[in-house]
Amino acid sequence: MKYEVTIGLETHVELATNSKIFCSCGGHSSPKEPNDCVCPACSGMPGMLPVMNKKVVELAVTAGLMLGCDINRYTTFDKKNYYYPDLPCAYQITQLFSPICVNGKVSVTTKNGVSEIGIKQIHMEEDAGKLVHDDWLDVSYVDFNRTSVPLIEIVTHPDFHSADEVLAYLEMLKSMFRFGNISECEEGAMRCDVNLSVRPEGATELGVRTEMKNMSSLAAIERAIKYETARHIDALERGTEVLVQETRRWDDTKGRTFPMRNKETEADYRYFPDPNLMPIVIDDEWMDEIKAKMPVSADVKAKEYADAGISEKEIEMLVSERKVCDLLDDTAALGCNKKEVAAWILTDCAGILRKNALLLSDLNISAQALSTIIKKVGEGKINRGIGKKVLTAVIEKGVDPEAYIKENSLDVQVDEGFISGVIDKAILANPAAVADYKGGKEKALQAIFGACMRELRGSGDPAVIKSLLEQKLKD
Amino acid sequence: MSYYVTKINENGNIAVDDTLLVKGAPAAAGSKILKGFEPLFSAEAVVRLENAGYTVLGKTKVGEFGLDLVGEFGVDANDTLKGAAAEAVANDEVAGALCVDLNGAPRRAAAISGVNFIKPTYGTVSRYGVIAAACSGEQVGVCAKTVKSTAALLSVIAGHDAKDGTSLENESYDYDTDLDVKGSKVLVIKELFDAADDTAKAKVDAFAEALKANGVVVETASFETVFEAQAAWQILMSAETCNNLSRYDGVKFGYRTPNYNNIDELYVNTRTEGMNLLTKATVLYGSDVLSKGRYTDCYDKSLKVRRVVYDKVKELFGSFDAILTPALSSTGYNAYSINDAFLKVYGESLFTAIPNLIGIPALVSGGVQLMGNHFDEGMLFSLALTAERSGK
Amino acid sequence: MTSEKLKGLLDLNELALTDDEQTVMQNIFKAMEQNEKVLEKVDTTDTKVMVHVMPMTNVLREDVRNQPFTRDELLKGAPECSDDSWQVPRLVK
Repeated sequence: MKYEVTIGLETHVELATNSKIFCSCGGHSSPKEPNDCVCPACSGMPGMLPVMNKKVVELAVTAGLMLGCDINRYTTFDKKNYYYPDLPCAYQITQLFSPICVNGKVSVTTKNGVSEIGIKQIHMEEDAGKLVHDDWLDVSYVDFNRTSVPLIEIVTHPDFHSADEVLAYLEMLKSMFRFGNISECEEGAMRCDVNLSVRPEGATELGVRTEMKNMSSLAAIERAIKYETARHIDALERGTEVLVQETRRWDDTKGRTFPMRNKETEADYRYFPDPNLMPIVIDDEWMDEIKAKMPVSADVKAKEYADAGISEKEIEMLVSERKVCDLLDDTAALGCNKKEVAAWILTDCAGILRKNALLLSDLNISAQALSTIIKKVGEGKINRGIGKKVLTAVIEKGVDPEAYIKENSLDVQVDEGFISGVIDKAILANPAAVADYKGGKEKALQAIFGACMRELRGSGDPAVIKSLLEQKLKD
Repeated sequence: MSYYVTKINENGNIAVDDTLLVKGAPAAAGSKILKGFEPLFSAEAVVRLENAGYTVLGKTKVGEFGLDLVGEFGVDANDTLKGAAAEAVANDEVAGALCVDLNGAPRRAAAISGVNFIKPTYGTVSRYGVIAAACSGEQVGVCAKTVKSTAALLSVIAGHDAKDGTSLENESYDYDTDLDVKGSKVLVIKELFDAADDTAKAKVDAFAEALKANGVVVETASFETVFEAQAAWQILMSAETCNNLSRYDGVKFGYRTPNYNNIDELYVNTRTEGMNLLTKATVLYGSDVLSKGRYTDCYDKSLKVRRVVYDKVKELFGSFDAILTPALSSTGYNAYSINDAFLKVYGESLFTAIPNLIGIPALVSGGVQLMGNHFDEGMLFSLALTAERSGK
Repeated sequence: MTSEKLKGLLDLNELALTDDEQTVMQNIFKAMEQNEKVLEKVDTTDTKVMVHVMPMTNVLREDVRNQPFTRDELLKGAPECSDDSWQVPRLVK
């Protein structure tokens, strides 16, 4: 008999904010040591009240728009109750009754074609802390750095029918959210609960559903889905066990799932509306503001670059890194040509990075610095070779391009008087060549020109120097 | 017997209930479970008083999390129960006291001790630094000896605070105490009057006479909504308290049981040893009304009843300027068993629930309670001052 | 309120009661069941819930980091802690 697997996902994504959702402690990327981004509020002390971070609402709406959702213009917060040491207040503030986004739809592409995945809802909530277990001392340490870091939870309909589709969807979310500055989606910042059931193909009723919670590695998710699917099929086909609706834990090293004997599984969370947080109303004006600030998608960006004459291959490299697109756009905004900037980034910058065994994603140069170099070259104030030398120093040593050029006298040619003096000196030092040139030997010019260039240490614009030299010899 | 759990400054002139945080002094809200907890900051109301030149004398005793009748002060058999803050004010130890009103305790205490207490309009005073129990209806109020000093202290602590997301936008408040009350109309709610004993009725009668002598019209009418408000507030208050008190688990601060081998024992024994039976009963009842089978009929229903009560009370204020009621069923309480506490407090909340449920102001003065429309504290103060001047 | 249900509530709230206290609690639930009946009579068919008594919306703060307290201050009152973390008995994995 043939079987069909049906999967629904709940994906938690940590949002890229400076501060937490309900207090001003540093957000997801701030902590350096355990509990160094903690305050009385996010460690559960009495006396503190939650105050909502505006940016969280905007990022959640942006994510919803990206996933084709309807935005609930009136959205509220609720409290979910359970005890666990990583949850300092023993409740989590989340959204049950009126989540911010509903009814979305996305397409995912796998080798088997395109599938439509329905998004049931996206809600905002706070993350829990972390526990570090010490087997030797038989204790667990509680770290509240992650407590109250803003999350969105994206709940899909049970529309997936293979691990491939799940992975394609998660990859898509990752690139979408990274490109949109919604989340950095680094390791652990995106976590999935996988709901899975198996039924004979053609059956109308879904099979018994099991849930695997809190998985963050894509490879592990794939292995877990494959294992769990096989376990369900074995149970259906050969009666190896009786399937029950339960939460199971995936053990990646053992390569199998285990039932969780956690009392959380049958808990009654006793949700209720949070009296401390007022409803959020997203009026047209705010909605327009959010839409205006909304980062364009990779597709739109690609079209924009194609219009600027950038090649398809270059575009592909550019849009894989949001940071690089931002650098390109910002540099162009400072008065540089897009196509030219793209070449500088993908040829020169990438080359320098490669020599240092780094990737394009490691590129760390300001638009200001890059535009300075490109403009100086464009205006002939330094030549391209010198430009690349300056770029290397900027990328490798983080120097300021202007200061670097000045300190190393790379822009002496800017001073026309100086160049003129160098030419005069070369004319005086090469009387024979001058005489030959004046006598009609065109080639003799090369000797004088070479003398100039040596004096200028290669930093002058050859064309300018040459014409200036010709001018002087004519007079 | 001392009114204080902690004395801060012998020369101080303000008392602060132990349900509010004062930096430098332990804060326990009358509960063993917060034993040893030292707050890192002071409540906003305390800071505002200090900025205005007041000094905190000490933290006054409260019943555990403010859930009881008046505070557990003076619990000897046959002794009359009194509230510590109200007594400190009555005995001129301090010029005033800050108390958190979540279910009427400071109002009952003020009535028993013969002092004033104002629970202002919800959102008037920041709850930043309040050891929270029932966030949707609790407010910091002021206890003081005279009507004028009560109004003056309230105007110091009132005003917008960005640290409390339910704080109203008004930057400051200036309370009138001398409005012309002649011709204003006051309603005595029949059900509440009837529920009180003769001593409490006498207080209401005397107060009403003093008002009438000054040209106030006093009428008595039935308003059965008080029973609905009582049941609804008990449900909301218990559930919110259950939720807010779940953070006290022996992990982060305060009391931790010495009897545990694992996290479950740590939780259960800490909480069981750390909280009294009234708190436990409130937590359990509050948890039950939120549970799957009961949410719709209890919690959700109470949130809807709150709106019904709100609308009906607003309608009353279309015809009346204030409501006059007893603050409690008698003029004092004798010591009682903790086993009886939950239902005893529930019974007394009949008189006090509406202001907590829908956020209207309530002023206890001259041993009775006045309720007013939102932001109508000035009318309550003016009526009370009229009675006060008449010697009542 | 059955004793089984009460047991469930105690578990959910990490509490224990003596037998006598359980009897007290049963009586409280019994009495409250009667008291709640007054709510049934209120017609709320077309009534919306009222979570907040003051009609406010969009109480928001800007996304700015600000941490006025140090880790040491926060850990000072911990019943048990290491140099940088709160500490509890080992949780079952």
